[in-house]
Amino acid sequence: MTQAEIKLCSLLLQEHFGEIVEKIGVHLIRTGSQPLRVIAHDTGTSLDQVKKALCVLIQHNLVIYQVHKRGVVEYEAQCSRVLRMLRYPRYIYTAKTLYSDTGELIVEELLLNGKMTMSAVVKKVADRLTETMEDGKTMDYAEVSNTFMRLADTHFVQRCPWVPATENSDPGPLPPAPILVISEKDMYLVPKLSLIGKGKRRRSSDEDATGEPKAKRTKHSTDNKEPIPDDGIYWQANLDRFHQHFRDQAIVSAVANRMDQTSSEIVRTMLRMSEITTPSAAPFTQPLSSNEIFRSLPVGYNISKQVLDQYLTLLADDPLEFVGKSGDSGGGMYVINLHKALGSLATATLESVVQERFGSRCARIFRLVLQKKHLEQKQVEDLAMIPAKEAKDMLYKMLSGNFISLQEIPKTPDHAPSRTFYLYTVNILSAARMLLHRCYKSIANLIERRQFETKENKRLLEKSQRVEAIIASMQATGAEEAQLQEIEEMITAPERQQLETLKRNVNKLDASEIQVDETIFLLESYIESTMKRQ
Amino acid sequence: KMKGSDNQEKLVYQIIEDAGNKGIWSRDIRYKSNLPLTEINKILKNLESKKLIKAVKSVAASKKKVYMLYNLQPDRSVTGGAWYSDQDFESEFVEVLNQQCFKFLQTKAETARESKQNPMIQRNSSFASSHEVWKYICELGISKVELSMEDIETILNTLIYDGKVEMTIIAAKEGTVGSVDGHMKLYRAVNPIIPPTGLVRAPCGLCPVFDDCHEGGEISPSNCIYMTEWLEF
Repeated sequence: MTQAEIKLCSLLLQEHFGEIVEKIGVHLIRTGSQPLRVIAHDTGTSLDQVKKALCVLIQHNLVIYQVHKRGVVEYEAQCSRVLRMLRYPRYIYTAKTLYSDTGELIVEELLLNGKMTMSAVVKKVADRLTETMEDGKTMDYAEVSNTFMRLADTHFVQRCPWVPATENSDPGPLPPAPILVISEKDMYLVPKLSLIGKGKRRRSSDEDATGEPKAKRTKHSTDNKEPIPDDGIYWQANLDRFHQHFRDQAIVSAVANRMDQTSSEIVRTMLRMSEITTPSAAPFTQPLSSNEIFRSLPVGYNISKQVLDQYLTLLADDPLEFVGKSGDSGGGMYVINLHKALGSLATATLESVVQERFGSRCARIFRLVLQKKHLEQKQVEDLAMIPAKEAKDMLYKMLSGNFISLQEIPKTPDHAPSRTFYLYTVNILSAARMLLHRCYKSIANLIERRQFETKENKRLLEKSQRVEAIIASMQATGAEEAQLQEIEEMITAPERQQLETLKRNVNKLDASEIQVDETIFLLESYIESTMKRQ
Repeated sequence: KMKGSDNQEKLVYQIIEDAGNKGIWSRDIRYKSNLPLTEINKILKNLESKKLIKAVKSVAASKKKVYMLYNLQPDRSVTGGAWYSDQDFESEFVEVLNQQCFKFLQTKAETARESKQNPMIQRNSSFASSHEVWKYICELGISKVELSMEDIETILNTLIYDGKVEMTIIAAKEGTVGSVDGHMKLYRAVNPIIPPTGLVRAPCGLCPVFDDCHEGGEISPSNCIYMTEWLEF
C-alpha cells in the first residue's frame, strides 16, 4: 500500500466513521493481518473499543477475518475496498438511472449500512419514499420488494455469506470465529417473503406529545416487534456488477464518439446480452451471432438486417478493434474485445493528461512514441515535424514526468554513451500506475482542502445553524412575520454571501473528487485486466 | 576538363564526384585520399575557384560543410527538403499545412455524415486518399515550394500523431490514380474517444509542484494558490 493510498483511506475512514475506527483501520492497512490483542496493544486503545471498531469495519465489508492454526483469529483490512467509498455516489446514481428513486434508495441504504436484511431495507425505503410523496399517498411495500427483486435478478445486490446449518444436533466445540460460506447459485436467491404494509409517514404531531405519552409510545414500539421472517439473510451491494456496468458505459460512449449513435447502440446491446454470461474479468465476451443481436436490439430501433450486418462489419474493421469477428456461423459471430477496449481507454486517459499538462505538441510526440514503440531522438524530430531543440525539451519534460522511458542498446560491450543507442519508449502499464498514484494523492488533497474550507468557516456555520433552529422553533410556536424577519437579519448580507461561497466551493471540490474517481476507475480496470492476463 | 591540375587534384575531384549529390565532408576526403589537411584545403579552394565544386551547409550539423560537384542538386537529407529554407525549419509552414489538411478531411467527414446514406457508403465517402489531399493542397497554392505526395503524407502522419486523423491502407490496382506499389493510403478525420479525463479537471492534475505538496508544508492543499484561483472561477 503506497503512502498516498494509506493517507486517502485514513481521510475516508475518519470522515465516514470517526477517529477510533480510523486509527484501527489505518493500523490494519499498514501492518496487514493481525489478531485482536496485538491490535489493541499496538494502537494503545482499550480492547472494548477495538472490538467495537472492528464490528463497524466488518459490517461494512472493509475488514475480513480468518481463523488460523491454533485457533487464532486474524483480521485483515482491505485497502481497495476502503477506496471504493469514494465511488458510492456513482453507484447510487447508476441505481437511480436504472431503477428510479426506489432503486436509488435501496442501494443507498445498503451502502450506508453495509449489510441488511431484505425486510429491513424494504421497510426503511418505503418510509423514506412516503415522506417525499404528497399527503395521503403512501408507498406500498410490494412495489419496493419488486424493485429489490429486480436488483437481485440483475445481480446488483447479492447475499452475504452465512454460517452453514450444521446437520448434527451436537454442535461440538464452537470454532473461535464462524466460517462463512456461500454458493454461487444461492447468491441471488430472493427469499419468499410476503411483505405486506405501507410506508409510515413520520407525523410532526407525534413530536409534540411529550412526557406522559412517552410510556405509551415505548410500549407501542415493542408491540411492533414481530419475528422478522428473513432473519439471518443479509444482503450487500455487489460492487463488481456496478463496475461492469461502468466499464460497459465507458466502452459504449467511446464507440459513440468515434463512430455514431447507432453503432454505440449495437455495442450496448451486445454488452447487455453478455452481462450474465461473461465473467467480469474475461478478456473477450462470448461470441454472439448477428441473428441474436438483431433479435435483441431495443424496440424502436428499426434498422434492417443488412444495415445491421454492415454496421457490424464496420465495427469489426475499425482500427479501434473493440469488436472482432470470430466466425461465420449464424450470420457472423462477433465478440467484444474487452481487454483491448480497456487498454485503449487507459491510453486515451494518458494522452489526455499529457495534452493538458504539457501541450498539444508534446501530446503529438507522446502518441508518436506510443505507436512506433521505440524511437531514436532524431527519428522523433523528423516524424513529428517539430524543430530539434523543442522536441528535445519536450521529450525531457515527459521523461522527468515518467510518461516516457529510455531504453539503452549498447553497440559495444563497454556501454560507452557515445556508442549506445538511446531509444524512447512508452510503457503503458507503469505510466498508468504512476498516474493512478497521482490520482490518489489528488483526491486526498481535494478532501483536505474541503475540510480546511469547512473548518475555516466553522463559526459562521454554527451561527447559521443556531439561527435556523431558532426560526424553526419560532415557526412551530406560531410567531409573527416581523419577529422572524428580525431573527433572519441576525445573519448579515456579507455573511450570507460567505456562506454561499462556502457552499459553492464545497460542492465544487466534491464534484471534482468524483471526476478524479472516474479516471481512477479506468486506470484500475486496465491494470487489473492486464495483471490477470499475465 | 581538368587541364592544368595535378594528380592530387584529380584524386580529390574523383572522391567528390563519387559522393554524388550527398556531398562529402572535408575530413572524409582526407581519409579517403590520405593527403595532409593543408593540401586538401588548398586543393578545395582551387577547385571552388574553378567552379568545379561547391560547398553546401548541412542541415543536420550547421557547422559542417559538405562538398559536391558544382552542377549537382543537393540531396534532401542535406538541405532538409521542402521543410527547410536556408537551414531553418519552417514550423509555421508545417503548421499551416497541418491545419489545412485537417480542415479538408473534417469537411469531407461531415458531408459524409450528413448524407445519411447507409453506413458503408457513409464511411467510405468520409475517407480521402493521400492523392486527393495532395491535389487539394496544390490547388490551394499556399506553398511556394513544390510538394510531392510523400511530403503530404508526412504532414498527414503528424495529424495521426495528433490523434485527429486515422489511416487505412487498401489494395488498389496498379494504375489507379494515387496508388503506390499496389496500395493506397486513405485518411479520415476522427473524434477523440474520451473527453478530457477527470484528473485534469482538478488543479492537482496539472500542478507543477505536485511532488512538493503535503499538509503542513509550505505548499499544501490548505494554502494552495492554484486551488484558490480555481475555486473562484
